[in-house]
Amino acid sequence: MLMVLAALAALFSLLTLREQPAEGEAAVSQLAAAARGGQTAVIAMRSADDDVALADALDARWRAAGVKVAARVNGDPAAVRATLAKLQAEGVGVDVIAASPQSARWLVLEERSSTFPTLANSNLMQPLSRRWPDFLKADNLLNIANQISVIAILAVGMTLVILTGGIDLSVGSLLALAAVGSTWLVREVFGGPGAGALGMTTAGLLAILLCGGVGACNGLMVTRFGIPPFIVTLAVMLVASGLAFTLAEGQSVYQVPDAFVWLGRGTGPLGLPNAVLLTGGLFVTAHLLLAHTRLGRHVYAVGGNREAALISGVPVQRVLGFAYTASGLLAGLGGVVMASQLKSGSPTYGGMYELYVIAAVVVGGASLRGGRGTMAGTLTGALIIAVIQNGMNLTNVESYTQKVVLGLVILGAVLADRLRRC
Amino acid sequence: MRLTSVLILLPLLTACGPAETKPQSTRGVIGVSLLTLDNPFFKVIGDSLSAEAAKNGFDTLVVSGDKDVAKQGNQIKDFIVRDVAAIVLSPCDSKSIVPVIREANAAGIPVLTVDIPCHEAGVSLVTQIATDNLGGGREAGRAMIEALGGRGGKVAILHLKQVESCQLRVKGFREVIEAHNAGGGPAIEVVAELESGGAKDLGYKAAEDTLQAHPDLRGIFAINDPAALGARAALEKAGRQDQVVIIGFDGQPEGRQAIREGRLYADPVQFPDKMGVQAVQSILSWSRGLPVPDQILIPTELYRQADAARDPSLTSP
Repeated sequence: MLMVLAALAALFSLLTLREQPAEGEAAVSQLAAAARGGQTAVIAMRSADDDVALADALDARWRAAGVKVAARVNGDPAAVRATLAKLQAEGVGVDVIAASPQSARWLVLEERSSTFPTLANSNLMQPLSRRWPDFLKADNLLNIANQISVIAILAVGMTLVILTGGIDLSVGSLLALAAVGSTWLVREVFGGPGAGALGMTTAGLLAILLCGGVGACNGLMVTRFGIPPFIVTLAVMLVASGLAFTLAEGQSVYQVPDAFVWLGRGTGPLGLPNAVLLTGGLFVTAHLLLAHTRLGRHVYAVGGNREAALISGVPVQRVLGFAYTASGLLAGLGGVVMASQLKSGSPTYGGMYELYVIAAVVVGGASLRGGRGTMAGTLTGALIIAVIQNGMNLTNVESYTQKVVLGLVILGAVLADRLRRC
Repeated sequence: MRLTSVLILLPLLTACGPAETKPQSTRGVIGVSLLTLDNPFFKVIGDSLSAEAAKNGFDTLVVSGDKDVAKQGNQIKDFIVRDVAAIVLSPCDSKSIVPVIREANAAGIPVLTVDIPCHEAGVSLVTQIATDNLGGGREAGRAMIEALGGRGGKVAILHLKQVESCQLRVKGFREVIEAHNAGGGPAIEVVAELESGGAKDLGYKAAEDTLQAHPDLRGIFAINDPAALGARAALEKAGRQDQVVIIGFDGQPEGRQAIREGRLYADPVQFPDKMGVQAVQSILSWSRGLPVPDQILIPTELYRQADAARDPSLTSP
């Protein structure tokens, strides 16, 4: 499966290869060289952070070189227009206009000679470009990791359940329930937008525990009453979704403090998003649990052959109960992460997620009959799905086609895996 | 066998990657994320926007949020990474989408909404283009009074409560009905307000249930055409189509055809094509540094059977 992931990454790198503007020092030097001492220049860029940094550096460089910087704008086209109008009114001649790659596309600059005749002779300069794929930009790779974190968290629990030979269809609805539950608690109990860190943590934990409780009920129904997991979790999917809609009264719950986004959008050490670190930690823990503990071996044993496991003394019921509870807890965690990412909880979250999660697990090489699969495989499976979705968005694939391609790729990946094993 | 996997995947994906064959346009890409593309209304917005953008040297990338705000958030983040020239969206949830719009704001990319507005604090939008839904709802109310022929009676509303535009439609509708009732004469009583999901299947179910609860129902106002057509199917199944009149909303081709055939009474029609054109014009004005109004409302027009009979885009019943 790693090969498929690598092939997809290579493919999207090729397809998204395009001219990227120079950044940082290279861009500053290029623009600085565009004007000589004694000339008059204008800097017209956006208010985004990197444009401000570029404008700062360029401004300093030009002043040192004796270039007269007649005006500097970090804003929107309207601000540029106002500045150019002022320069024209004052009769200032401009030799060079420095723009960022984005502001160079603004019509106010492109059409300056017709709107502002005195600027007709000015040169519009922007940083030159190098070829680099959009797909491999650091921002985009972080994007992919962030986008997949919720599905990956759910997939950890789903892997446990599928390894025991079961299935959990309730995770998408539990996600919604946890998202609504945590934001609802923050709003109703912990003081809404004025809630403190302790209140938010408690709300999140309570929501996760609620989902863990529902997961434990799933397990109980499967073990004590022998109802097929498909039916149990299908029913719970409806119950949990209905509860989420009821609790939220069909609206999204958004009365939460700004700090609520810490988990979903804050960054930790190395500039990695907290959600990504959390997901990574969960995968490592789950991998160690499966590969190096007795409980892990029991999970495989129950899924491989339940009768044999029972005879050899594996506490089958407890193992099953553990798997469903873990899946519920992780679905709850996923819901809290999503609520934090979107700074609100809505009962519509998580629609169809159970299917994406199952797809990630199966693409990762787990067998739906149980007993076979790994956490590393699941992580790869989740990444394959994320890379395909992101790659298609980057390459202008139309949304109808995206669904077809995603379905076919899931099928193709599993088929390839099957062929390899034959 | 690993090679097999690559061989299976490669042609599949390359076949769907038209990006590299398109010439890179000078003014960049407009990223568009619409509520859904199941509803032809949004398809028309996307198509007219693409056509107008092409005329003005932009490329467009139209994707469907599938009513899933998390998915839409990811699409917009992908737009930001691609450094698009502008982002047009119809929010799947106007509250949950706020952090993502702020990310686009921070990246200096202009953002505008079509059809579904976002009135939250802390976001900066070039403009918000929408149908005058309140006015449209009032037109629907007047159409209902007209359709009931001054006799009054019980009417039901098929709602899509979580969507603000639909709340406005229902508000406008109720205003006119209340004003009518206050003016004396046979009263029109709104007996039910049911969730229709704005879709045929759910509209069908909701209408079926309403008919059970209110056998003497005289009219239905559905907040869009799919819900109205679902309700019509329920009426036909129950054999009550001559007893209950339906007012829809939108004026999609299927809805207009139904009006021509007399299956719906009338629709306040929206003009999604004007929205797409207006979106591109607003981006151009913004880019020129010219002022753009905070909100651009596009009025609806009431469309009855007589209008449908003259409509060249429809086939004869």
